[in-house]
Amino acid sequence: MLAQQIVNGLMLGAIYMLVAVAFTLAIGVLNFLNFSLPGLFMVGGMLAFGLMKAGWPFLIAAAGALAAAAFVSLLVERFAYRPMQGGDPEVPLVSSLGFLVLLENLMLIQYGSDQQAFPALLPDLNIRLGGLVIGIAQLISLALSLGLVTFLSWYLSSTAGGRRIRTVAENRETALLMGIDISRLVPQLFIASALLAALAGILFAVNYQQVSPFMGEGVGFKGVAAMIVGGMGSIWGAVLGGLVIGLAEVLSISFIGADVVNISVYGLLLLILIVRPQGLMGRAASREKL
Amino acid sequence: MSGYLTGVLVVLAFNVIAAYAVYLPLAAGQLNLGIAGFMAIGAYASAFLTNEYMWPMWAAIPLGAGLAGLVGLLIGVPVLRTHGIYLAMATFALGQVISAVFLNLEVVGGAAGYPVTDYAGPYVVYAAAAGVVVLMLLVSRTRFALCLTAVKSDATVADLLGVSVRGMKVAAFALGAAVAGFGGGLYAHHYSFVEAQHFNVLLSVFTVLYVLFGGTQTVWGPLVGAAFFTLVPELLRASDQWRYALFAVFIILFMAVRPQGLVTSSLFRLFRRKAEAA
Amino acid sequence: MSAALAISGLSKSFAGVRAIRDLSFTVPKGVTTALIGPNGAGKTTVFNLVSGVYGVDAGRIEVNGQDVTHMPSRKRISTGVARSFQNIRLMPHLSVLENLLVGQHVRASSLGALLTPYRLFPNHRWKREARAALEESGLGRWADEMVSALPYGVRKRIDLVRATLAGASLLMLDEPAAGLNPSETNALRDHLKALMAKGVTLLVVEHDMHFVDSICENVVVLNFGEKIAEGPLSRVRQEKLVREAYIGTDEEA
Repeated sequence: MLAQQIVNGLMLGAIYMLVAVAFTLAIGVLNFLNFSLPGLFMVGGMLAFGLMKAGWPFLIAAAGALAAAAFVSLLVERFAYRPMQGGDPEVPLVSSLGFLVLLENLMLIQYGSDQQAFPALLPDLNIRLGGLVIGIAQLISLALSLGLVTFLSWYLSSTAGGRRIRTVAENRETALLMGIDISRLVPQLFIASALLAALAGILFAVNYQQVSPFMGEGVGFKGVAAMIVGGMGSIWGAVLGGLVIGLAEVLSISFIGADVVNISVYGLLLLILIVRPQGLMGRAASREKL
Repeated sequence: MSGYLTGVLVVLAFNVIAAYAVYLPLAAGQLNLGIAGFMAIGAYASAFLTNEYMWPMWAAIPLGAGLAGLVGLLIGVPVLRTHGIYLAMATFALGQVISAVFLNLEVVGGAAGYPVTDYAGPYVVYAAAAGVVVLMLLVSRTRFALCLTAVKSDATVADLLGVSVRGMKVAAFALGAAVAGFGGGLYAHHYSFVEAQHFNVLLSVFTVLYVLFGGTQTVWGPLVGAAFFTLVPELLRASDQWRYALFAVFIILFMAVRPQGLVTSSLFRLFRRKAEAA
Repeated sequence: MSAALAISGLSKSFAGVRAIRDLSFTVPKGVTTALIGPNGAGKTTVFNLVSGVYGVDAGRIEVNGQDVTHMPSRKRISTGVARSFQNIRLMPHLSVLENLLVGQHVRASSLGALLTPYRLFPNHRWKREARAALEESGLGRWADEMVSALPYGVRKRIDLVRATLAGASLLMLDEPAAGLNPSETNALRDHLKALMAKGVTLLVVEHDMHFVDSICENVVVLNFGEKIAEGPLSRVRQEKLVREAYIGTDEEA
């Protein structure tokens, strides 16, 4: 029983992990808490659903949803991020939230506010391992998520493009001095984080076979929690945080009850913030320079 | 007054109170994304007092507000050690935890909600909101408000000039929490029902949204922001299902053009000059 | 009579790098002193240690006879020490008058003072006092302007007025003349002389040696966090160590 719940928790954690990595890219490099990401998560799931309903095969529908999310993310960059440079740090939050509201309402107009059933893609194939039941779809998404994150981590640490991103994250002025074209890099980062969030939305739809215009909120906020628990700006921190939050959620549902999920998940977040604000794998913030 | 108009104005009154609850800490540069949690404390505490101890509402609601403020004070001390996004997330988590605790608290009805015996009519609500606005206007005329701006503007310099940065932050946070609790208590007694689900993240987040939209440089910003966010979607009712989408587009474009919010101190200066010139 | 500032055995390291080493010097009351040295010598670090922005590793700091070594930074203003920053740190979204009112905080920080809605009274004594201080420095016409809209030289001097209103008797100025044109520099010099006449002791970090020469009686020279010379500028600039420290780095020291 416990082992099974741990498996379920890890599967859910894989989704949070992707969302958390999406957030951590935006925060770690751009210092932007991008609240449109839950919206892009939802766009991934809802649009894949909508396009499949219109007769598209799954893979093409998924590709369409990813492309749409990437496009919307460029709009977020243009209208929420770019005009706010140098202003109060809270302000981009407003516009990115504006995008969340906009996306939710557009989907609501198109598909209604009800939860919709996402078609089962794979026949109910399960692997049985001892007493454990592991869904094939879930296993594939876990593998896909981990593979993607490993690639991202490798890219950031071992390629020229990754080094450029890390330089921008470290210090913008230095990056400019070194001739890094920030105005090109930033939209690329927005696309990357949008793709991660939207992919998470698609995987969520496939795994849990349901979508709704508001599916991004709960998952999105837990993705933020996962990012912070792991340590903002750290890819592997986001992975760890995602898995921890997924486990905390599933274990508290099955052993205490569904109503305590927020207490355990966000209580954990609060505790981490008070005891170790830099997160499990983050570095301590340096102090203000004069 | 028609029932519809009364309904809208009551919502406006609650939004204005909530806006000032967010504004106070924000004036010192702290984003509180958990305001709904403090509203929940005020709502449940005051409802409990009127229901179980037959307290009159005029005593129960302020006590609920005080309790929310006290919780803000106690929790503010450790939470305000964090800054920026960390603080925003800590308050966000805090709001979630508080609401979830009430959701599981059977003595106040748990997930089924908690009916409230006493009733505050619309005029009581209007008067209370007006009272909060007047109080905030008064506060904005004090050195306390000046210190909050100084802390937000440059905490290092404020500290070197002798301002207790931490003290100011905790005070603003706790006062904001008390204002939120006051609004929550009033809410419970107006709608005669409290449910924990109402006090969710989106309530907190939207309140922050309209405060930032109104602008945080002056004390009028939250009022204007709350009025705008309450009334404009009502005016857009004709386009019904498109109204929130249109509204969102408007906010995005507006913030892109005017990131400092609608009402700013330089705007005020401009008006004053014109008035003097005239 | 105790000195305005007495530093003894002061040391501070950042990540293993020793920024200040066993530094001792004294600024007697009324003796305008310059702290000079090549870039990176640790001048601003001294200011940060005295004002409490950083804690010390070793040593002792006394302001007007009071040991402030371990005093929290915000309490040090009440011993009479105030400072300016290299990049002026006024509050940009506040008016000049409001910035000055923040400067008064140390003398108006009781609960009653904090909660008095003074802005409702057009002629409140705090505002009167701030205006008077501005007028005295010839800056009266800027009182109601937003700080961000003012010329650089004016902002520098408003920073001085703010420190004065905080009741500073020891004022540490970080490159006050940097970035000023000649007429602004003259206005600043007159302003500083007026402060000196009122009994304020100045400790100045400055690269412009003409400026130093025109107001400072005594000079302390730092290099790599250590004091290498001390005395009147005319004598100090002849010393071998000082000349070596400056070769190829700065103007005619």
